[in-house]
Amino acid sequence: MDTNARPIANPNVVLREEFDDCAVLFDPDTGEGYAMNPIGVFCWQRLDGRHTVAEIVTELRAACADAPPEAEQNVREFCDGLAAKGLVGFELS
Amino acid sequence: MKLMNTPRSLDLAITNRCNLRCLYCYHFGGADDVGRDLPTAEWLRFFEELRECAVLTVTLCGGEPFIREDLKELVEGIVRNRLRFDVLSNGTLITDDIAAFLKSTRRCDSVQVSIDGEAPEAHDAARGKGSFHRAVAGLKTLQRHNIPANVRVTIHKHNVHHLEEIARLLLEEYGLPSFGTNAAGYFGLCRQNAGDIQLNVEERSLAMETLMRLDRKYPGRIQAAAGPLAEARMWKEMEEARRTGRPSGTRQGCLAACGGVFNKMAVRADGIMTPCSQLPHIELGRINHDSLRDVWQDHPELQRMRERQAIPLTEFEFCRGCEYVAYCTGNCPALAYTLTGADNHPSPDACLKRFLEQGGRLPVES
Repeated sequence: MDTNARPIANPNVVLREEFDDCAVLFDPDTGEGYAMNPIGVFCWQRLDGRHTVAEIVTELRAACADAPPEAEQNVREFCDGLAAKGLVGFELS
Repeated sequence: MKLMNTPRSLDLAITNRCNLRCLYCYHFGGADDVGRDLPTAEWLRFFEELRECAVLTVTLCGGEPFIREDLKELVEGIVRNRLRFDVLSNGTLITDDIAAFLKSTRRCDSVQVSIDGEAPEAHDAARGKGSFHRAVAGLKTLQRHNIPANVRVTIHKHNVHHLEEIARLLLEEYGLPSFGTNAAGYFGLCRQNAGDIQLNVEERSLAMETLMRLDRKYPGRIQAAAGPLAEARMWKEMEEARRTGRPSGTRQGCLAACGGVFNKMAVRADGIMTPCSQLPHIELGRINHDSLRDVWQDHPELQRMRERQAIPLTEFEFCRGCEYVAYCTGNCPALAYTLTGADNHPSPDACLKRFLEQGGRLPVES
């Protein structure tokens, strides 16, 4: 995924924050659920069609002082994975 | 145990009405039997709150859910609010039209149909004349529309000698992947008809033996969360643990059987929230008036129900001197309530010691 892409969460998908660090993305159309860690939740909450991937990474680095150098690649792969499952699309300009 | 922010699922009694009056129905004759239904708009508003709470699934029950004239509108509200659903039904009101609609939503996990016999005699004895053919027609309609259909067989005096034929019909003739079993429990109308419908100790022993045999014949295809098959499996393990002196497992030795209050809640047909559809007398609040999230997190009755799993069984006079106490979990609090008047009590119905003292037999592997 291009770092200038602006991914947008599928509005049908439910983010369910359970307790502590545990969260689930639930696709009601398929019944599939995907476990998410806090970084995944942080990113998911910014998949609003306005943030680019690069901007999400910038915000992530600001929020997490110990974000690793490969954070940008990880976020891109995270978004690609979500897109492959139909959980994320892209805002058309 | 940590608590989720909101329940993951809810059982919703969307109607108090039913076209049948099954002799063992848990709904009628108890606190669940509220005599009225909520208007469509109330349910639709509540579904919006379920969305805000990120609830994932609802089970539509009653009464008979397919009796609601506005069922499509309710299901559309469920779909609109990002939920999946399943339905518990007697099967008799399922039409091609409603089945096609359910399929079109892509959100229906399953429809459970109750079938208690391989022929009208055993089924209709508890459910009313003509209900067998109509339930089977409903099941076949679901199959025709490729809707996952779960069959539940409730075991009672009139079908306990028919279990082999029922299994053959459902698994071989109808080609179901599996079916579920339970037994008529001491709830609702069953309390009035217990002598005519509930299994006695001998019949319960027979049901356990037959179901264990069928479980070997059809591996993995007969399910049970309660009733004779579940009891046979659980009690045989308890007996083995007692015999070998195995250490007690996690949660054993306390009133820990029910984990439902950590995952789900229920709503009666009048909109009153309850911990479980089997505990309809515990009123937690009213939908659209009280916050689901607040009730779930803070209601003292729910907290009390969650804390019961720390209560040791040795505290109960009922359990004194029992050799199985270290391996028991007290079973269903709702059944404990209807039998003893206290939900914080082991269920006498699920007591292995009492079952054996009354002449009950555990199945022997052949």
